[in-house]
Amino acid sequence: MSKKISTAYSDPAPVYVPVDADFRLKDNAGEIAIDTNFASQNFWKDVLVRFFRKGGAVFGLIMIVVITLFAIIGPGMNEYTYSGQELSQKNLAPRVPGLENLGIFDGSETMRTTTGSMKVNNYEDKGLTDTYYWFGSDNFGRDIWTRTWSGARVSLIIAVAAALIDMIIGMSYGLISGYFGGKTDMVMQRILEIANGVPRLVIVTLLLLVLKPGMLTIIFALMLTEWVGMSRIARAEMLKLKEQEFVLASRTLGAGSFFIIFREVLPNIIGPIITQVMFSIPTAIFTEAFLSFVGLGIPVPQCSLGSLISEGFNSFTTHPFQIIPPIIVMALLMLSFNLVADGLREALDPKMKEM
Amino acid sequence: MVKYILKRLGMAVVTIWLVATLTFFLMNMVPGGPFLSEKAVSPKALAALEEKYGLDKPLFEQYLTYIKGAIHGDFGDSLKQRGRTVMSIISSKFPVSARIGGLSVLLAFSLGVPLGCISALNRGKIGDNIIIVIATCGIAVPSFVICTLLMYTFGVKLGWLPTLGLKTWKHYIMPVAALAFYPTAYITRLMRSSMLDVLGQDYMRTARAKGLNQFVSLFKHALRNAILPIVTYLGPLIAYTVTGSFIVEKIFTIPGLGGEFISSITNRDYTIIMGTTIFLATLVILMNVVVDIVYKLVDPRINLK
Repeated sequence: MSKKISTAYSDPAPVYVPVDADFRLKDNAGEIAIDTNFASQNFWKDVLVRFFRKGGAVFGLIMIVVITLFAIIGPGMNEYTYSGQELSQKNLAPRVPGLENLGIFDGSETMRTTTGSMKVNNYEDKGLTDTYYWFGSDNFGRDIWTRTWSGARVSLIIAVAAALIDMIIGMSYGLISGYFGGKTDMVMQRILEIANGVPRLVIVTLLLLVLKPGMLTIIFALMLTEWVGMSRIARAEMLKLKEQEFVLASRTLGAGSFFIIFREVLPNIIGPIITQVMFSIPTAIFTEAFLSFVGLGIPVPQCSLGSLISEGFNSFTTHPFQIIPPIIVMALLMLSFNLVADGLREALDPKMKEM
Repeated sequence: MVKYILKRLGMAVVTIWLVATLTFFLMNMVPGGPFLSEKAVSPKALAALEEKYGLDKPLFEQYLTYIKGAIHGDFGDSLKQRGRTVMSIISSKFPVSARIGGLSVLLAFSLGVPLGCISALNRGKIGDNIIIVIATCGIAVPSFVICTLLMYTFGVKLGWLPTLGLKTWKHYIMPVAALAFYPTAYITRLMRSSMLDVLGQDYMRTARAKGLNQFVSLFKHALRNAILPIVTYLGPLIAYTVTGSFIVEKIFTIPGLGGEFISSITNRDYTIIMGTTIFLATLVILMNVVVDIVYKLVDPRINLK
């Protein structure tokens, strides 16, 4: 066929024999963008690729893993317990074996008065040659290393549990409201608007005044705060999806409403929901810290990052080393969750505008 | 429009009533009466006290009296600060909080909007990246940390600024900065994304095509549209400054409403807890309504339904 055309429309010219050079790329100073064409990939694989391309998100993920690991094994890494008090060894500065020879973390701290400052080493003064508090010890002679990590453990458990329960409540609420529409939606949205108008931090504080403080009650109180945002997202996604063909197909096949909501639509909107969970974890960490700060948090001798910060705050002008570990861990934790959530959001929906 | 405003106001009233009811019954569920203390109180004195505060009446009657009083701005007397009504405490503390909150909102706006614009105009360049990194930190890092850092660096180490109280203008710098940190970061990011959105619009290309200079097109066309989302953020921002002030006021020992709320919780001063809760909630709810209405007035593209 092609031969016929070429003879019909062109003169019988000598056949051009391509040389090697024709197949070499012309040099244009490295401006060629080589297209990477993938075969159509699995959605989650794609998301992973996009996620790991973001430096911040990867950093956040690594930090979360590291902090979680330390929260698990950290308290068991030395001989102290989180509640063990040794009043004779209170307010000792950080001292780490090995590093102490370099002149840092050698257990000395600078004491300041109005007349001047001097360096004191309480370990030497008390003759504690063999005692090491890696992060120092607090007002009651408790090891800050152990307390920081067990505090991180408590904070993480509370935040993750609260965020997951929020997810279940908010998601179901939003999905049901969006799916049924009409009067149901109207009523449910009015309730939501009212719930949204209530300042949450205040109500959580009041709730904890009534309930006995403890891990479960804090989770319960936090549970009531974040579900509004989650249900909004779930509802919006449901409204986008419920007119689509696969829902119609499922309904034609005789599926019930709840089957469609939770088995057909839910798997399709899991991305935005995970992102929202990641965003609500730092909020929960912060709220828990706030409650501890007000004195309504985890009861002593247990500790959370918030209660450690509020304890350290009382003595932070004289012994600043006591507040530094919990504050750094908390700041890193909140930053990391935010970074991961940002990365996930962009990875899941690359078309979405930047925020 | 009128219908919309009325509907929003009605909703606000319902919400406020709900908060008041919730607060009242929650406070009545608190274990241990308000007069429980370390010192033993004789039953006779207790009865007299209960009669004075009307606590001997049935709960529902107390509730009606309380709501009736609350509508008239009467939240009863403080249980711990003798001889002061809750309303007088609120009205003496609120101006302090309002000043700090107002200043930090102002600061957040005047920093966040230009920073967001700069960042959007230099998209992908080094300046943009720096601003984004700082803004992300500002959103993520909690106010405890900001307060402590500020206080340690400027108050303790350098000794430039006073750390406690609220006497001179120097006392305002740290609390206002600490309170403005989060909203500044948030506004920067919001402004950046909305500016990027606007810059890609057709009317911006038209403006450039007809030869408007960069300055005019930026200020007259882009900024006016890009700033709209910031207006919606005003509502949450006010709620934030109200609750954010709890920590800031407590740390910097500022005699404001947030600090009062926290110390009333520590002192278990129930009437003040109830009063401040209802007052703060009313403030936040009404502000949200106002912002919603303003938003619809400003942007004619939003249909009133």
